[in-house]
Amino acid sequence: MPPLAALPRFVGLLAVWVVIGGADLKGLAVGAATAAIATWFSLRLLPAGVLQLRPLPLLGLLLRYPLQALRAGTEVACRAFDLRLSPGFVPYAPVTAPSVQRDAFLTWSSLQPGTLPAGEDEVSGAVAIHALDVTQPVAASMAAEEARFARIFRG
Amino acid sequence: MSLLADAFTVLAVLAGLFFLAAGTLGLLRFPDTLSRLHALTKADGLGLGLIVLGLMPQAGSLLGALKLLLVWALAMLAGATVGQMIARIARRESQ
Repeated sequence: MPPLAALPRFVGLLAVWVVIGGADLKGLAVGAATAAIATWFSLRLLPAGVLQLRPLPLLGLLLRYPLQALRAGTEVACRAFDLRLSPGFVPYAPVTAPSVQRDAFLTWSSLQPGTLPAGEDEVSGAVAIHALDVTQPVAASMAAEEARFARIFRG
Repeated sequence: MSLLADAFTVLAVLAGLFFLAAGTLGLLRFPDTLSRLHALTKADGLGLGLIVLGLMPQAGSLLGALKLLLVWALAMLAGATVGQMIARIARRESQ
């Protein structure tokens, strides 16, 4: 693996170690070794350059998340009290072709209000989205979120 | 200032506990596995987030506050990943 590609990931993982374990010297030696091993695994699982992120749209998406979490949590809490449920599956065909980007989007969408991806439909190939209320515009909100999510990637 | 931070902590933690309780209620009352997953990933995620937010002013250092934030981020990432996998299996088994 080229050292330059490994460096940002190593620094990021070491930063995670410092946040969790503190920055004392003894701990840092173990942390550096752990971060090096984690970097090796990380690059094996997701080679450098596969996901090229654009920092500003990514920041916008992350800053928007707490509001989305508030909406999602409040919606579920309300439904837990009044049991206004109409659960079911809504087929959704993502614009993004099967890839790491698509998997990342589906993971992200499982944290969005009212949607939970539950695998692909074998016949149509569309992703089955489980919704607590299928009368809501689930597919439209997935499409809007996918467009927003796609902006964080270059190219 | 300390009183204000303490009041913020109490309010945010209470709100967090409310959402955790609502998530548990959803887990008990929702009719199927997939609906229950919404309760676990969304209401509980918000509950934990509010508790973390409330505890941040009490962390004593920036590193302590970042650690709390990281705990929440890791819990959300794990919830989103595992929730999807369980949903996939639950849908397959219900067919």
